Amino acid sequence: MMKILKRSGLAAMLILLGTVTALAEPQSYSLKVDGLACPFCAFGIEKQLSKIDGVGDLKTDVKAGVVRLTMKDGSLLDKAEAKQAVDRAGFTLRGIEKVRKAPQQGGESQ
Amino acid sequence: MISRLLICLALFSWASVARSAPITFNTALPVAQSEFVAREQLIVNQSGKDPSGLSRDRTTWAAISVLGYGVTSDLALFGVVPYVNRDLTLDMGNGPVNRHASGLGDMKIFGRYTIYKNNFSGGNFRVAPFAGIKLPTGDDNRSDGAGRLPAAVQPGSGSWDPFGGIVMTYQTLAFQIDAEASYQANSTAHGFAAGDVSRLDGSLQYRLWPRTLGSGVPGFLYGVMEANLIHQNRNRIGGVTDPNSGGTRLLLVPGLQYVTRRWIIETSLQIPLIQDLNGVALRNDYIARAGFRFNF
Repeated sequence: MMKILKRSGLAAMLILLGTVTALAEPQSYSLKVDGLACPFCAFGIEKQLSKIDGVGDLKTDVKAGVVRLTMKDGSLLDKAEAKQAVDRAGFTLRGIEKVRKAPQQGGESQ
Repeated sequence: MISRLLICLALFSWASVARSAPITFNTALPVAQSEFVAREQLIVNQSGKDPSGLSRDRTTWAAISVLGYGVTSDLALFGVVPYVNRDLTLDMGNGPVNRHASGLGDMKIFGRYTIYKNNFSGGNFRVAPFAGIKLPTGDDNRSDGAGRLPAAVQPGSGSWDPFGGIVMTYQTLAFQIDAEASYQANSTAHGFAAGDVSRLDGSLQYRLWPRTLGSGVPGFLYGVMEANLIHQNRNRIGGVTDPNSGGTRLLLVPGLQYVTRRWIIETSLQIPLIQDLNGVALRNDYIARAGFRFNF
């Protein structure tokens, strides 16, 4: 009986630890932007998005018309703020997708 | 004086400060809200084909500084500050005489508002009217040993000249097309009124490199081909029309432009294809341009 309790407790702790780790990981988003068609435009969009509180890394793919945005630890992206930022640059936010990390060996996907 | 037309040609490249854009005129692409963009351009304007027999030869060097500010993503304000250096050589029968002046030219301020935009995947289309005024900030009363310099050599015009027009831009990842129609009404100063200027401009920018787009934000090398159709009315001196002024020109403008996230470098050569000018107005040889733009 004690063995079962110990194993259950250990399993619960591992699940909790995994959940906390997942929540603490920086959140990443993929923003589909309409109108983006040249390198100079990309800078204007990135600059407006970087003004949002909590925004960390920004990477633009001009060909795909996508800005990949990673928040700082513990921050979440406000979609309305993201839309306003893209509007302020003169472009249109078509959609936002939360980027899920690829499953790693021995790890878990988010 | 046809020189006013040349001055206008040199200074009418004021607005294309943002994004890949035409080299000799404006664009409808946006300036992001609360952000600045800047442009510097060096222009050499050479005219030496003189049908008057006075062997006139005129060279204007101009350094044009432009600052653009996005009030909103649709409304942008621009300021244009030129510094000019003008030389005119002519022979009245007693050997060549040189007239020269340099200094701050006439500044321009104007606003541009996007009335239509369609952002789509991999491109956009915009239409934006603009309006502004050329201010008499340049000195227009310079003289030398031979007396008051002609208007063709003065750094400024002395007149307040409103202008306006409309520009449209269609941009994709592979190419960009811009077209513009504009008009500048020139007023009188010191008894001289340059003829009003009407323009139609077109530009094609085609991505030469990279041929195939990869991921990220690579620099784009554009081949540029532009055309400027410019008509200027005859000037008026002391209320009398000058028969040796005004006319119509068509210029073809090949160029190159390299565009990155933060800056653009570019160069072009305006070559006159047609110069249907009145009387013995001085013909233009070429206008060469080189410059850069910067995203703050």
